[in-house]
Amino acid sequence: MTHRSFLRRLLTGTVLAGTTLLAATNLSAQTRGGTAVIVIDSDPETLNAAITTGNAPGDIGAKLFEGLVWVDPDYKPQPSLATQWTVSQDQKTYTFTLRRGVKWHDGRDFSSADVKFTYDEALAKLHPRTQTTLRRLAPEIETPDANTVVFKLKETYAPFINIQTPFEAPMIPRHVYAGSDIKANTANEKPIGTGPFKFAEWNRGQAVRLVRNDAYWEAGKPYLDALVFQIIPQGPNRSTALETGEVDFLYQFYVSRPDVKRLADNNRIQAKRGSATPAVYFLMMNTARPALATKEARQALATAINRDLQVAQAMDGHARPGYGAFGDGFPWLVNADAAYAKKYPLDPSKAKALLDQAKVAPNTTLNLVFDPARPMFNAGGQIIRDNLRQVGLNVNLVPLERSVMIQKVFTERDFDLTLQSFSSSGDPSIGYHRIYLTNETRAQFLNASGYSNKAVDDLLGQAATAADQATRARLYREAQGILNEDVPTLVLYDEVGTDLASRKLNGLWKGVDGRDRWSEVWMTR
Amino acid sequence: MTGLALAPRNTLWSRLRRRPGATLAMAAIAISVLVAIAAPLLALRDPFSGSAASLLPPLSPGHPLGTDHLGRDLWSQLVYGARVSLAVGILAAASAVLIGTAIGAIAGYVGGVLDNALMRLAEFFQTLPRFVLAIVTIAFFGSSVLHVIIVIAILSWPQTARLVRAGVITLRSAAFVEAARLGGKSDTAIVVREILPNVIAPIVVTGSLDVAAAILLEAGLGFFGLGDPNLVSWGGMLNQAQQYLRQAWWMSVFPGLAITVVVLAFNLLGDALNDALNPRLRDAP
Amino acid sequence: MGPHELALLTLRRLVAAIPLVIGVVVVNFTLIQLAPGDPTTALIGDYPAPPGYVEQVRAEFGLDRPIPEQLGRYLWQVGHGNLGYSFAHRKDVGELILERLPATLRLMLTALAIAIVLGVGLGILAARRRDSPLDHGTRLFSMTGYSVPEFWLGQILILVFALGLDLLPSQGARSLRAPPEGFAAFLDGLRYLALPAFALSLRYIALISRITRASLLEVMNADYILASRARGARERTVLLAHALRNAAPPIVTAIAYDFGFVLAGSALIETVFGWPGIGRLLFESITRRDYPVMTAILLFVSLGVVLANLIADLFHAALDPRVRRP
Repeated sequence: MTHRSFLRRLLTGTVLAGTTLLAATNLSAQTRGGTAVIVIDSDPETLNAAITTGNAPGDIGAKLFEGLVWVDPDYKPQPSLATQWTVSQDQKTYTFTLRRGVKWHDGRDFSSADVKFTYDEALAKLHPRTQTTLRRLAPEIETPDANTVVFKLKETYAPFINIQTPFEAPMIPRHVYAGSDIKANTANEKPIGTGPFKFAEWNRGQAVRLVRNDAYWEAGKPYLDALVFQIIPQGPNRSTALETGEVDFLYQFYVSRPDVKRLADNNRIQAKRGSATPAVYFLMMNTARPALATKEARQALATAINRDLQVAQAMDGHARPGYGAFGDGFPWLVNADAAYAKKYPLDPSKAKALLDQAKVAPNTTLNLVFDPARPMFNAGGQIIRDNLRQVGLNVNLVPLERSVMIQKVFTERDFDLTLQSFSSSGDPSIGYHRIYLTNETRAQFLNASGYSNKAVDDLLGQAATAADQATRARLYREAQGILNEDVPTLVLYDEVGTDLASRKLNGLWKGVDGRDRWSEVWMTR
Repeated sequence: MTGLALAPRNTLWSRLRRRPGATLAMAAIAISVLVAIAAPLLALRDPFSGSAASLLPPLSPGHPLGTDHLGRDLWSQLVYGARVSLAVGILAAASAVLIGTAIGAIAGYVGGVLDNALMRLAEFFQTLPRFVLAIVTIAFFGSSVLHVIIVIAILSWPQTARLVRAGVITLRSAAFVEAARLGGKSDTAIVVREILPNVIAPIVVTGSLDVAAAILLEAGLGFFGLGDPNLVSWGGMLNQAQQYLRQAWWMSVFPGLAITVVVLAFNLLGDALNDALNPRLRDAP
Repeated sequence: MGPHELALLTLRRLVAAIPLVIGVVVVNFTLIQLAPGDPTTALIGDYPAPPGYVEQVRAEFGLDRPIPEQLGRYLWQVGHGNLGYSFAHRKDVGELILERLPATLRLMLTALAIAIVLGVGLGILAARRRDSPLDHGTRLFSMTGYSVPEFWLGQILILVFALGLDLLPSQGARSLRAPPEGFAAFLDGLRYLALPAFALSLRYIALISRITRASLLEVMNADYILASRARGARERTVLLAHALRNAAPPIVTAIAYDFGFVLAGSALIETVFGWPGIGRLLFESITRRDYPVMTAILLFVSLGVVLANLIADLFHAALDPRVRRP
């Protein structure tokens, strides 16, 4: 026995022992049975998670359906429907080996044909977000045998494996959907998946009930007998229901922020702070308007608006003040030298001077458009109005119902200022580039500020395809240097979400997203 | 509503004053109107001026009713809020009464096909679900105070129209109207000068009740986040309070009470006026 | 009035209602269509739609057609009993409404039952002690009930009874974790009904107690009551037998006239209490721009108002032989 192989054995042995120990401690505590009640805010539009990005279908779908992988809290992909995968040298060919013995809820076998079908017919055509990604990657999908799927991409794409989740790419059964109109298929109301829970019933306006999938591929799991998704439309009432024990789990999206502190202090409730997916909330400025055409004018706003107050009052502390053009949700890309805190500390008199310099007349009125269904925009708008009044600008708050807001802001660009929030969807190239890239179209949720900068476009273009993170970080830092100076859009804060759950639930948050991995959750009774 | 002859003013006044409810109601209305007018004097600070001192409870130094989630003074918001609630309530009700009176008078006086058509129209508007349509309209067309007033007025006139029409029909052939007609007065003059003054009683009653309903409707719109955020309104305050119900009951309780008191006052007044003007009950022992 | 005449009256009123209902549909449809904003935006989500996707969605729901054509299609559909297809629920609107209707009816009928019992009771109390402090107190209470914003009252009730005293559930219509069976399920349902039904009933308690009081005062002084009292009948029998019979028609009329308000109130209350009825469906469809559902519910409500008025008329006609419509 060489020294080296001894060391290896020792290490492996330790790791194995560690794993067994861990498994043993878990095993001793985990119990079968129980019904957990999870909150959603409205009836899902469909229970087919492959054709929507709605919140409720995502929540329920993550228990019914599975992706090829799941993503752990360190953003590492872990085997789910695929047991392993390899990536070619040029990073364009991905080969997945599928798990054997996986059955759909109706008893049929899951196979590579289902993966190809889901990609070609559902995700590429109907999933609102994934189809955008797939359009660019144009994957050619081959199924050499029932347990192998090969994706040949046209471009490299760093996060490709990480989008194989039940949210971005849930697998749906070919034998149920083939040859039908996927959107109108009745299986969308009685879904068939491979996940740990099976659909049981849907009482509209009230609840969706799932029961344990006894034939789940992972022996002994899930632990819970049933999951109930209870619909509670109003935020504060959702908090109350958790307090009174009527419900057990509140995903961060459904949490009423003012209640978090009180709930987290409750010894029957556990909280997990931290967002799975960074998201920025920002003030977009219409650079086509004379008052906001100059960078000095926009810098004046950046200097006059109190970002800390936004965090404290509009978000009740559940945010981090705006760091720069991409926030600080992706710590590897921030540019500390160009940070807002350095460039634009709160200073009303300096803001006034900048406005003079930009020749913006005192008492100029700016229309601030926002969707009033978002509480943080109602409060945030009031704060901005108050802040800008201190520097001699009038803000006229224009709350517009969501679809009218979209028309005014993105289609007609009839606004001076607008409050918006964009999710990164896991990578700045998916969710954040659209805030700044030159945009000639009038499509919704893209750059509507009219800002167009060739240098920024080039930098972001390179950052999207570069496979190595150090290179990407350099490109993003350079872009922030320009964007933080020009401020076509002022990032107000990065959201910090908090999931809340009854202490009776154990084994939560095994995945990066609290809605995932409910096969591991068990209940103390 | 048949006894349309308006009782002499002093009698009505004394009759109203004999009712404790009416006296209280009139006092409450007078006070709220005064508060609305004198808001800048009564407010302790700018109702929109925020601070880091958010969610202070009532009786905090400088903030008798506490502060809201943005650190704004609740008392100052409450007194400014009276302006919007009363303005919307009174203007919307006045517009509804004007529209209703005009349509009712025309329908009743002209009669025939026009009467039939206008009454069908009134019936149609009464069939429309008022609050729901108001929400749809304001949500989609935008929430300025003017929109709110217009929507409430358009959806509220039929009641007045029916009452006025009924009154006009009864009086159309009354002796004094015939006399005026023979005296060569124009139709417009007859309606405006001779007939309408005699149907003013039911108009005043519905008008008062309309104010109450309009204030409630405005509050409901505000509660659903459809108020004008550039103004302070009680409904809008309730909307913001929703999120902080557990942390800051004062954000909900004070504007809710204010709405209840003012609406109650107008309802009581309408009720008392109705009793005072209704000969049947008046004559009852 | 004989059964034949009643049937004729019903028929005539129904025929007269047809243009009314068509008018309601046309107004609702046009209003919603004229409003700025586009329902497809609500379907797409918070992410830029790929080119062509918006057009695809619009074509799927026929939204790319001119408005008059859409209106024509819609009327034709509704005439054939088809209320359309919900954008947001991807489901037949008729089915959707029928699924939600029972919960709303349960809430409304419970609220009405509470209102009738308490309203008539308070009305009788007030009338018998006319101008006493009890009378004034009752009237003030009922007027306050009529003036309180019901959504606010709902919040306060939750604050006190669900959070403060921990007596009653605040959300939903039944226990979900371990749904009880049989009689226990009925009791469970009542617990969930208590707060929303009370919040909704307050307005009707006020209305009914006022009408009851006024009718009783009027009738108690009428000759035949004096006559029957003179004959030595017990006062309670007099009140119940004669006076309430006369109070009934105006009560029914008021409830019918207020039907639209009950529904609107129910929509607010359902939202506050998470009640799974059509009122909340309406609010959800407004925020999701689900036109077919919105129009269909507005149609339902309008039909409800027309029917309620008809029932009130028939009731009036049946109870009071003096009423004969021209």
